[in-house]
Amino acid sequence: MEEYHRHCDEVGFNVDEAHNIVKECIDGVLGGEDYNQNNINQWTASIVEQSLTHLVKLGKAYKYIVTCAVVQRSAYGFHTASSCFWDTTSDGTCTVRWENRTMNCIVNVFAIAIVL
Amino acid sequence: MEKGGHGGKSAAVPAPHLQPPPQPRKERRPSMFEKEAYAQILRERLRESFHDVQYVEPPFDDSIADLGKEWKSALAKLKFANSYRMEPLKKFQAHSVETKVQQILKESLKDVQYDDKVFSHLSLELADRILSAVKEFGYHRYKFIIKVLFIQKTGQAINVASRWIWDVAWDSWVAAKHETETYVALALVFALYCE
Repeated sequence: MEEYHRHCDEVGFNVDEAHNIVKECIDGVLGGEDYNQNNINQWTASIVEQSLTHLVKLGKAYKYIVTCAVVQRSAYGFHTASSCFWDTTSDGTCTVRWENRTMNCIVNVFAIAIVL
Repeated sequence: MEKGGHGGKSAAVPAPHLQPPPQPRKERRPSMFEKEAYAQILRERLRESFHDVQYVEPPFDDSIADLGKEWKSALAKLKFANSYRMEPLKKFQAHSVETKVQQILKESLKDVQYDDKVFSHLSLELADRILSAVKEFGYHRYKFIIKVLFIQKTGQAINVASRWIWDVAWDSWVAAKHETETYVALALVFALYCE
């Protein structure tokens, strides 16, 4: 019976790759746009879905969770915190903060390893 | 000074944030691979937008990262014995966790007014508290992710979206909201089964 050997040179979640992917997705969707109540649902959905599809295309054995919060830019306070219970050597997270004239966007990617 | 396995395990993500090499003295167009130059080039292209990449855990010593990697790569050659378990012993019950998280939010945020300094460590404390409460439920082999958001109510709009790729049979999520006159607190709990 053949055994499946995972060809994996690097160990742990590659944060740089993930943040590049996410940055590109946000730029593509929100770049040059102003805050618009009608489109905001569509935008958040497409940011998250596109980031997810690109992350999956990396082909790594990971489960992904992507959350995105888009806020209209004004004088407001915003705090976010996350606490995780996982395997620190294989799992990881990445946060990307993006802003323009009318809105702020925070995208969080969590990657949990699947042990094959 | 932490040494050994403990240091490796409790450390954050093992992806060391390498410092870029120092800028050469003579003037030349900055290469795409240097971090500040990349940001500068990008800034020129997208004049109206700003980028900021932050890792949730702060960067730490390279030595600790290497320790984690060595340990893990040694482990990768190990094969785990087959547990013959096709499903988790106790499946994640979303509704009971939801009531518990809602209760925690309500208790800790009763009569609390919005305050910048207090909230930044209150959010961390709340996240840790919710994490320990969820762990107490005793769902074995589950990994948890807790997200806590505090949004001040000043008439602006906010939209929060999440998508995931996981095993639909065992993995699940819970959301709890606590609203007051001045702010809204949102707690998200994701539970993933580790096969």
